[in-house]
Amino acid sequence: MSVDLQWLLIRNTNSYLVKRVPEGPIFSKEPGNLRNLHSLKYSGVVDKSIAIQDSSAGISIVTRKTKAASNQVVSAQNKTTIRPNSSNRRSYGIVAQLAKRGYRSDLRAAAVARVSALLSARKKKETINARPVREKKVRGSKKGKAPKGLD
Amino acid sequence: MASRPTVSVQSKSSTSLSYPAVLHAPIRLDVVQQVHKSIAKNKRQAYAVSVKAGHQTSAESWGTGRAVARIPRVGGGGTHRSGQAAFGNMCRGGRMFAPTKIWRKWHVKVNQNQRRFAVVSALAASALPALVLARGHRIEEIAEVPLVIANNAEGFTKTKEAVALLKALHAYNDVVKVSNSRKLRAGKGKLRNRRHRQRRGPLVVYNEDNGIVKAFRNLPGVELAQVTRLNLLQLAPGGHLGRFVIWTEGAFSRLDEVFGTTEKVSLLKKDYLLPSAKITNSDITRVINSDEIQSVVRPAGPRVQKRPWTQHKNPLVNTGVLFRLNPYAKTARRQELLGQERLKKKGKKKVKGTSAGEIFKKTLLAP
Repeated sequence: MSVDLQWLLIRNTNSYLVKRVPEGPIFSKEPGNLRNLHSLKYSGVVDKSIAIQDSSAGISIVTRKTKAASNQVVSAQNKTTIRPNSSNRRSYGIVAQLAKRGYRSDLRAAAVARVSALLSARKKKETINARPVREKKVRGSKKGKAPKGLD
Repeated sequence: MASRPTVSVQSKSSTSLSYPAVLHAPIRLDVVQQVHKSIAKNKRQAYAVSVKAGHQTSAESWGTGRAVARIPRVGGGGTHRSGQAAFGNMCRGGRMFAPTKIWRKWHVKVNQNQRRFAVVSALAASALPALVLARGHRIEEIAEVPLVIANNAEGFTKTKEAVALLKALHAYNDVVKVSNSRKLRAGKGKLRNRRHRQRRGPLVVYNEDNGIVKAFRNLPGVELAQVTRLNLLQLAPGGHLGRFVIWTEGAFSRLDEVFGTTEKVSLLKKDYLLPSAKITNSDITRVINSDEIQSVVRPAGPRVQKRPWTQHKNPLVNTGVLFRLNPYAKTARRQELLGQERLKKKGKKKVKGTSAGEIFKKTLLAP
């Protein structure tokens, strides 16, 4: 069954649709949807897709094996992860490599953008945690006594 | 569809089955929706308001002249009811408009071939991972679609065995989804034996019931069907294609017998041939890029990049734009200019030549 026909079958009704903004864009919750937009190009279900998600082991990339039969599900998946300590440029390169090899080259920009967003989200988390916690000022009569929880 | 893929049986010993023809049948969403809509009506029970409702008074109109509306009014006195309007649908205590009757047309006839087309379409859709995912089934971790299990599952008698099998197949996620989705129904349905609503889980299709029904039926959302009795309401619930179907090997290998192929008549449905798609290859990009088409079409010209939002140039004023629009304008203008120049030259000569001759001047000015 061709990609075009499958898209026509799931275009109007599917479980991933998000039509929350009236007159606004239609979003999609598919895991393989790089821009979370409901469209044939970015659909993570119908065609070969690039699923980029954050996980504890780093950013995981799931692609479809090009020579897999259409009825295979798990055995057709190709999983890789970008290690957490790899640099930004290296991470982009890993994703852009897919396009270079001819796997959904139309999604290169979207894939790199998603990796970039995930990386920056990760950075923000670190900085929030790194902020020093200010201690409560001791005032008045308690000033001379030892602070609680230190004995 | 150059090569027909095979389906492997999910068990320890690896055997593979050929694809039955039904799973390549054309998928017509509109047919499935239409047939589902009609078939779903056939299980309704008749309901109606009481025939007597609103008509149990002896009300009569007071006629004109009493400065009240001519609607029938309840007679007598001594009660609040007397003098109140009755019967009309606009009246308190009156009958409803067009009271419902139990002889409403509850059932809808659907032609047999259409019904079969819908079932066949729904089956074909259940063999596409994309459509099953889009329906909301949790099949991300299963091996393949369609999912075929070994025949010994038909002999299961305990639900424990069934759960173990589904877990081994990684299909249990779909059952978990169902039990998590169980919610109290909104509205009166709660009182009418429809207390909860929940998603649908996998549909297990078997050939021979040696206990499989009892083993599976208590799992939330799981439904069972025999191959010869496949039902559109189960294959495409709500008219949405792509139910997650788990086949036993025996059921799967009987599909060609039950539905036939596009050339071979079905054994169980009289004179039934599978419908065939209007186009053999629905991949339009591939059709366009095929040698047959590409050898006929003209070669692509140079790429023209059009800049959007440029300033509009008036061709009546701007000659460059004019010449681009109308190449002849250039020649026309040039000819015009040349003509004028020629005319100028000609005119000068004429002026020279028109001076009167010497003899004429002499005679004219003769004293």
